[in-house]
Amino acid sequence: MAVARPVDPLELETPSALGRWAAAAAEFCRQRPLGAIGAGAILFLFVVAALAPVISAYDPLAVHFDAMLARPSALHWLGTDAFGRDVLARLIYGSRTALLVGFGSAIVGAALGTILGVGSAYFGGRVDLYLQRLMDVFLSFPLIVLALALVAILGNSVPNVIAAITVPMVPRCALVIRASALSIREMPYVDAARAAGFGHARIILRHMLPNVMAPFLIMLTAFLGQAILLEASLSFLGLGVQEPTAAWGLMLRGAAVDFAEAAPWMAIFPGLAISFAVFAFNLFGDSLRDALDPKLRTQ
Amino acid sequence: MSRYLLMRFLLMFPTLLGVAVVIFVLIRVIPGDVVELRLAGDRGAVSEQVLNQERARFGLDKPVWQQFATWMWGLLRFDFGTSMWTGAPIGQEIKLRFALSFQVAVMATIVAVLLAIPLGVIAALKQDTWVDYTVRIFSIAGLACPSFWLGIVFILTLLVVFKWLPPMVYTPLWVNPWQNLQQLIWPALAVGYRYSAVATRMTRSAMLEVLREDYIRTARAKGLWQSLILSRHALKNAMLPVLTVIAVEFAFLIGGLVVTEQVFNLNGIGLLFVQAVAHRDYTLIQALTMLVAGFFIVVNFLMDIAYAWLDPRIRYR
Repeated sequence: MAVARPVDPLELETPSALGRWAAAAAEFCRQRPLGAIGAGAILFLFVVAALAPVISAYDPLAVHFDAMLARPSALHWLGTDAFGRDVLARLIYGSRTALLVGFGSAIVGAALGTILGVGSAYFGGRVDLYLQRLMDVFLSFPLIVLALALVAILGNSVPNVIAAITVPMVPRCALVIRASALSIREMPYVDAARAAGFGHARIILRHMLPNVMAPFLIMLTAFLGQAILLEASLSFLGLGVQEPTAAWGLMLRGAAVDFAEAAPWMAIFPGLAISFAVFAFNLFGDSLRDALDPKLRTQ
Repeated sequence: MSRYLLMRFLLMFPTLLGVAVVIFVLIRVIPGDVVELRLAGDRGAVSEQVLNQERARFGLDKPVWQQFATWMWGLLRFDFGTSMWTGAPIGQEIKLRFALSFQVAVMATIVAVLLAIPLGVIAALKQDTWVDYTVRIFSIAGLACPSFWLGIVFILTLLVVFKWLPPMVYTPLWVNPWQNLQQLIWPALAVGYRYSAVATRMTRSAMLEVLREDYIRTARAKGLWQSLILSRHALKNAMLPVLTVIAVEFAFLIGGLVVTEQVFNLNGIGLLFVQAVAHRDYTLIQALTMLVAGFFIVVNFLMDIAYAWLDPRIRYR
């Protein structure tokens, strides 16, 4: 029954997907040790976030009025904050917020950007022109300014914060994806698919999208670090995730600054956690970019 | 050349108009309206009469196109309307704070350039050695460190190690330069470090590219001093992309200031913006986002002019 159907080149490939991935990962680790360190750190963050209830000795929301602003000790490894909440527990649970917001906005932002970028490149002409002008407009706003304006409009619950961080990322991703999709559109296999009578949707989904995977992954990892940083900034300003949720940026707000001299642990550790997470994603993303696309290396 | 500049100049306006439309629409798609949202947030029930009064005060009772026309006409005359929170003219509020933010921005740029260019050049010269790796880690760390946290760490270090705090009250540069610099150097360092990260990496990769060019080999072959090759031949040609990055980052610097001014308690544009969002002062948010985006577009335009001036290939196209 499938005899008369035009053969899709993708269906001819019969790789053992898992084996290929493992080989690629091993190669990546060998050639780019810095990237491997980043990947290890990301894995560590995931484990911490997943096992938070197991690792953490305290409830991150539990208030201990008998141990307010306690120094780091055997009881509270990283001390407690102004409400007597365990700093380590809040750091551990904060990783969940960071990863949730980071992945939520980076994946949605990069996916929407990819769709817009590929669509813009594929259809070309008017569609491309108008979309590009619209992107130009959105690119004129600094990330945090647009995110803050959106928070002001949407209000600041976690999903809204994710949305506010996602929107400014879309045009940045679309720009990069469009550039690489433009060259793919000229490839013979796209012409062939068109000649074979495939519809737009199929050509875009099966022939264009798989070939912009490299820039997509690059943008995704780049956005992850940025999104975590942006969430921390918004929360630090009191306009992101709200108390009493455990979030790193929020831990640096208010009391952490006021008591900086008396209780420096409150100000130092959350900042280290943010830097660690963003550093890990950037390190990994940087090496991934070098590995996947040498042309983009200068950016 | 003049044709190119004219085209580039005219192209600025559709983008500016687009930015204005986007901001205008965003503020008006809120369910309910801004007056209702703001007043309801403050104190439970507000009578319909008060709401209408407020709407009339900000011209929100007029048809949308008329509101837009009024806003546009105001923007053309640099009249940004009045703040919903303080009731003061927005132009006034911004003017009070502009000098401070601009000074921090310029100082941060200087910090960034002083860090980025030497580091980038050294990293390129010592490619794939420990020097290169150290610079790379230093710059990736700059992107990872939140500038507000860096600010907190600076304050903490000064306090604990030197038992000294930067002055907390702003003194304009022309009143007491020493006092002014003592206060503003810290936020400039915190913002400048992050800012330098991107520029360092750009300097490194641009240098790497230029160092492989034939004319560098020729210069070496004729026995020119290394320092002369670097400054005259390599750096000059590598500077164009670096300049772009610095200009783009400068235009977006307000983003870094938004959080840093909060830490250092600096009453600048960034703090004003955060307060506007916290108070849901929509007229102020509208004006400030427009200003920031407009600034970016104008800096981009100036950048293109500078490009054309620096690069003859563009000039004679």
